[in-house]
Amino acid sequence: MVEKVLANKKRVFWEALFLTIVVFLFGMLIGVAFESNKIDEINDYYIQSETSIMDAFALNSFADLNYESCEALVSANLDFANNVYEEALILERYENAGKITEGMEIMHKKYDVLRTFLWVNTIKTAERCGREYDTVVYLYESETEDLTKKATQNVWSKILEDLKAEYGDKIILIPLASDKELVSLDSILEQFNIESYPAIIINEDYIITDLTSVDDLRGYLDK
Amino acid sequence: MEFITWVYLIYSFIAFYFLFMFILIYIQNRREIFYCPPITKNYSLSMVIPCYNEEKSIAGTMDKLLEQDYPNLKKIIVVDDCSTDDSYKIIKEYAKKHSKILAVRTPKNTGNAAGAKNYGVKFANTTLIGFTDADSYPEQGAIKKMIGFFDNPKVGAVTSTVLVYNRNKFIEKLQAVEYKVIKFSRKLLEFIDSIYVTPGPLAVYRKKAFDDVRGFDEKNLTEDIEITWHLQFKGYLVKMAVPARVYSIAPSKFKGWVKQRNRWNIGGLQTILKYKKTFLRKGMLGNFILPFFVFSWVIGLFGLGIFIYRNTQRIVLKYLSTTYSVQAHTAIFRFSDITLTPNVLVFMGLGVFFLSLFFTIVALVNVREKHYKHQSVFTIAFYMLFYLLMYPILLIISGYKFIRGKTKW
Repeated sequence: MVEKVLANKKRVFWEALFLTIVVFLFGMLIGVAFESNKIDEINDYYIQSETSIMDAFALNSFADLNYESCEALVSANLDFANNVYEEALILERYENAGKITEGMEIMHKKYDVLRTFLWVNTIKTAERCGREYDTVVYLYESETEDLTKKATQNVWSKILEDLKAEYGDKIILIPLASDKELVSLDSILEQFNIESYPAIIINEDYIITDLTSVDDLRGYLDK
Repeated sequence: MEFITWVYLIYSFIAFYFLFMFILIYIQNRREIFYCPPITKNYSLSMVIPCYNEEKSIAGTMDKLLEQDYPNLKKIIVVDDCSTDDSYKIIKEYAKKHSKILAVRTPKNTGNAAGAKNYGVKFANTTLIGFTDADSYPEQGAIKKMIGFFDNPKVGAVTSTVLVYNRNKFIEKLQAVEYKVIKFSRKLLEFIDSIYVTPGPLAVYRKKAFDDVRGFDEKNLTEDIEITWHLQFKGYLVKMAVPARVYSIAPSKFKGWVKQRNRWNIGGLQTILKYKKTFLRKGMLGNFILPFFVFSWVIGLFGLGIFIYRNTQRIVLKYLSTTYSVQAHTAIFRFSDITLTPNVLVFMGLGVFFLSLFFTIVALVNVREKHYKHQSVFTIAFYMLFYLLMYPILLIISGYKFIRGKTKW
C-alpha cells in the first residue's frame, strides 16, 4: 500500500518528462517551420535572380552576334547585380535564424554559385563591350573561427557597404564565400593566386588582402 | 547543427523538465501545501539555540521562543559557544528571569554551529528536540504547527518556512524573494520525499531519530543539509510545516552574502562526497537528491564555462572590429549591425524565462505574509535576470576553496 502511494508520487517524474518532450518537440517544430518560412522567402528571391542571370546569359550569347546589344547587357548585369546584393544582405540577416536546419547554408551556397555566374558574366561583358562599371569581388571565409579574420571581415563588409552606397550603379559588388568548395569559383580563383582571405579583387586587375579604407579603394576605382 | 546549438537545446530541455516537474507537483498537491496535521499527542519538546557573538539578536530569539504557545515545551537550552561579546551575560539574565531557559556554555569554542547544537542536546531529555538560530525569530504559534507531523512514526524531522527578517537594503530584498522561492520549492519536494535540508532557523527532530544519526556532523559546514541526508539515508521522512514561519536575519552586505553562499556550497560538496556511495541507490536520497545536487554542479559549471568562453570571444571580436574600424576610418557601429531575426533558441529561451517567471510568481503568492509588503517588480526582475546568474560564479569560488581545503566557518 505504502509503495503504491509512493509510486503515485514518483509518477510526476515521468509526467514531467512527457510534458517536456511534448513542449520541446512543439518548440522544435515551430522553430523548423519558422526557419523553413525564411528559407522559402529567400528561395523566392533566388528563383527570380536565377531567371535574371539566365536572361543575362542568354543576352550575352546573343551579344556574340550583335554588338548593339551591349547597352542592354550592361544594364541587365547591373540590375541583376543590385538585386543579388540586396538579397545577400537579407540572406546574411536570415542566416542568423538558421539554427536547426541546413536550409540556409544550402541557400548561401546556391547564391554563391549565382554570384559566381554574375562575376563570369561581368568579365565576359567587359571583354565584349568594354568596362562600363567597376567590378569589386569580395572574397571571405564564411566558416572561419579565427577572431582576427572575423573582425577583419566585419570591417571589410562595412567598408564595401560604404563604397557601394557612394558609387551606386558605378560598381558591381560581388561578395563570395571562398570556402564553400565550389568547383567553378575555385577554378577562377586559382588564376589569381590569392594567398590569404579576406581579399578584394577589383576589375580582375588588383588584389587587396590588407585592410584598407574607402579612400584608398577610391584610388583603385578611379584609375 | 553547431555544438553550441546542441548545448543551448539541452539546457532548455533540462530547464523545462525541472520547471514542469515543480509545476506539476504544485498542481497535484496545491490543496495540501498549507496543511498541518492537528496535534493529537503533546510530545515533550526542548529547543536549543546555539549562540556565538549574537548579543544584538539573542534576546529577541529567546523572547520569540518564550512566546510560543506549545504547552509541552519543556526547556529552552541556550548554548553560548564561548562568545567574546555580551551574549552569555544576556542569556544568563534571561535564565534568571525565566525558568524554562537553561543557560549553558561550551567548555571551549567549537568553531561551528553543529558543535554548539550537539552540546545543547546533552541537556535535553524530551521526545522532540528543536533548534533555532540565534539570529532568527519564530512567529508565534510556529512550533505548535510543526508537532502534528510527528504522529507519523516514520517522520524524523519537520522543517519550517524561513523568511528574511531584514528587508530594507536591495540585497536583503533580493534574498527575501529568493527565500520565498526556496521555501516553496522545498515544500514541493516534500511531496516526492526529497526535502534535502532542515534549515537552522527553525527545525524540530524526533530525538530518537536525531540520536540514530548521531546528531549533527561537526565537520560539515552545512550540518542542516547533512543531517537531513542522514535521516533520509536511515529511512526517515522529512516534512515541512509551511504555516510555521521563522524570520531570519540575512546578510546585508555583499561580502557577507558571498561568505554565506560559499559555506552553503562547500557544505553541499562535503555532503555529496559523504553520501556518494548512495548514488542511484537508497531511495530518494540516491535516486533524486544526490543526482540533483551533482547535476546542479555540473550544469552550473559547464554553463558558466560556455558563457565565459562565448562572451570572451564576443568581447575580443568587438575589440578587434573596433580597432580595425578606426584604422580603416569607417563607422564603429551602425544600426544595421543589430539583427533582430529570432530563431528557435530565442523561442526556447523565452519559453524557459516565462515558465520560470510563472513559477516565481506562484512561489511569491504562496507565502501569504500579512506584515510585509509585496516585492516590487524591479526586485523580481533583477532577481531573475541577474541575481540567479551569480549562482554559477559562486560555485566556482566555492569549488576552488573546497579544493584548497578551506572548509572552516
